[in-house]
Amino acid sequence: MTEDSLVDKSPTSPHYHSGPASHNGSKICTRRNRIRGPQSALTDFLASNNISAHQIHQDYQRRVREAEQREAAEQETAEQEYSQHEHDDDYQEAHAGESPEQKKKRKRKEATTLAKIKQSKEFARRKSQRLMDVAGDDSDEEHDDMLAKEMIDEKSRPIPGQLENCEKCGKRFTVTPYSKTGPNGGLLCVKCSKDVADDAKKTTPRKRGPRSGRRQVQSNLLDGIIQYGAMSLAEMCTKKVAENIDDVEEFGDLPSPLLHRLSQILSKRRVLTPRTLNLFLRPELHSIDIYDCAKLETDDFQKIFAYMPSLTQVNLRYAGQLKDRVLEYMTDRNSQIKDLQFDAVNLVTDACWRRVFQKYGSQLESVKLSNLDYSFDDETVEDMCKHCTGLRRLKLTQCWKTGDRSLKAIAGLKSLEHLSLNFVEETSKEELGDIILNVGSNLQTLSLDGFHHADDHVLGLIHSKCHSLVKFRLSDNAVCTDQAYAQLFTGWQNPPLEYVDLSSTRDVDNSNPDGPEELIGLASQGFVALMDHSGSKIQKLNIASCRHVSREAFEEIFSEGKKYPHLTELDVSFHMVMDDFLIGRIFRCCPAIKKLVAFACFNVRDVRVPAGVALIGSLRAQDPIVVEGRFQK
Amino acid sequence: MSSTAQTQEYVTLVSGDGFEFVVPRSTACVSGTIRRMLDPSSNFSEAITGRCVLETLSGVVLEKVCEYFCYNQKNKEQANVPDMDIPPELCLELLMAADYLDT
Repeated sequence: MTEDSLVDKSPTSPHYHSGPASHNGSKICTRRNRIRGPQSALTDFLASNNISAHQIHQDYQRRVREAEQREAAEQETAEQEYSQHEHDDDYQEAHAGESPEQKKKRKRKEATTLAKIKQSKEFARRKSQRLMDVAGDDSDEEHDDMLAKEMIDEKSRPIPGQLENCEKCGKRFTVTPYSKTGPNGGLLCVKCSKDVADDAKKTTPRKRGPRSGRRQVQSNLLDGIIQYGAMSLAEMCTKKVAENIDDVEEFGDLPSPLLHRLSQILSKRRVLTPRTLNLFLRPELHSIDIYDCAKLETDDFQKIFAYMPSLTQVNLRYAGQLKDRVLEYMTDRNSQIKDLQFDAVNLVTDACWRRVFQKYGSQLESVKLSNLDYSFDDETVEDMCKHCTGLRRLKLTQCWKTGDRSLKAIAGLKSLEHLSLNFVEETSKEELGDIILNVGSNLQTLSLDGFHHADDHVLGLIHSKCHSLVKFRLSDNAVCTDQAYAQLFTGWQNPPLEYVDLSSTRDVDNSNPDGPEELIGLASQGFVALMDHSGSKIQKLNIASCRHVSREAFEEIFSEGKKYPHLTELDVSFHMVMDDFLIGRIFRCCPAIKKLVAFACFNVRDVRVPAGVALIGSLRAQDPIVVEGRFQK
Repeated sequence: MSSTAQTQEYVTLVSGDGFEFVVPRSTACVSGTIRRMLDPSSNFSEAITGRCVLETLSGVVLEKVCEYFCYNQKNKEQANVPDMDIPPELCLELLMAADYLDT
């Protein structure tokens, strides 16, 4: 509540209750019957203690008045001092009559005022600011004097609350602490002050700190990027081009890999618009990769296929506005397409998908589709498998309408080399087994994510059928036993794997946190067998949340003398047995390691991390990385 | 012949429009392309004379490239390297040059 409202509403203020009191005669009676406006609890309290808010207000007003008078007086003297000093001629004239002694006295007084100002904090602040602004040409003494005088000058200005004429427009206005000084030292009105401030904002360029702060380092660390030395010139230029993408009219004959990188950066920054898309449309190119098509419209997609007739590879992600007519246009015009990758193309109907597969038939080598929830059902998959007999690579992730029938159809694709599946619908283990039985022998990649019913039998089939796998994923499964994993990797004819992901294979039962007697998921035995089988070639390994791997197993796998020369990325998140010692052993045994992910490994506290290695997820993420040894390329 | 080339401490990089930049050999070898040109065992004329004529690059671009070479050498094995200042109007040309020079 402000001072004013306190006074107005206060029932104790004399001028308020004197009226009705005299009119009614009985003071007490009026008090009881009177309708009172809202009043603060404070006023009530003060009144009950016989303190008048009005009195307080008046006291305050008096103090303000006194302060104003005092300031005005000070200002006058300051003005005098200032004018004496500034205008030497006037000074001579004005003080012509005074004795040399008086003159001396005043000069001394003036000098002390200046000295006082020079010692003040405000003066020091301004001085340092000024020094930054201009290179000090003048001698320090002179400069100091000037600044001090300036400050005296400022003191003589009208104080807030007074009226003044604007220096620029001449309007009369109330001076506030925010009033700006005009070019000639006078004050400016609100509007002119604002203009001046706006101008100042425009002229000072926005400061852009170097992108190498602690936050940036941590952000890069989470991406597994530990940078030593300078970025490559190409990378640096690519970033610069991406920054200035609005000024780029065309890329010229930029080679395809650089275009690809630019597309990635632009997509990440979400600036891939219809305008920037044009920069990527070059008729001689055979591929287009746009990772974020969210801002492109139907016609833009059509333009891609119109401008680039010789496309063989199409990769469009987040292509929400890609419709039937675009795909139909593509089938009419682009006859050489071999490789199709679409993400989130939910406006394309099943009928259109079937026409696409019929049209391209056996020429399609790779189909990767993800996040299709509206169309693309089992029948379409059957159609695809019927027509696209030459398919070597198939990836279906998060397609909501595919299920067992799709699995059955995929089992007929004899030419498959790479198969990645992540279904939303629950599927049966029999169909999955059929796939491995029928196409397993050629597979180099087998990625089964979220197949909850895959069991030991499936692992057994993989053991007996797959002999050319390089990449193997079986994640998010709570059925396969440790025993089966151990059997899979023991005496397997498959050459050593390079990429293994067995994350989240464990029993999840809250009522039995230690898991059943027979261990579920990749546990000690299976892990040892895996590393025995693939340790010599393995590059990336993800065993996050395989919670039954014991400390002994880790100690054995990463014991003295064991070497995993190619392992660059390892994820051991949610392994409670992981501690500083084991992490140290890992660094020792994996000379090539670049990225070690260890989220929720609470015993990892104080590890010495070799230079050039990203340890992600450790508890004290904000600490600077402990770097050990020199970085070697 | 190649023994003399090996002893040369400085090499000369020549732009398409005739500007010459004399830089330490190690600095120039930041670029993979130039490193292979100057490889003493290759017997390229560049390796023998210690002089690389880069026809496709203009003087302005080559100057910036040389600046990058020095910047790269200076920040070798250091963390938190500040970005080099690249004028926006030059960055596309420089990008082509970087691609060619394999840096």
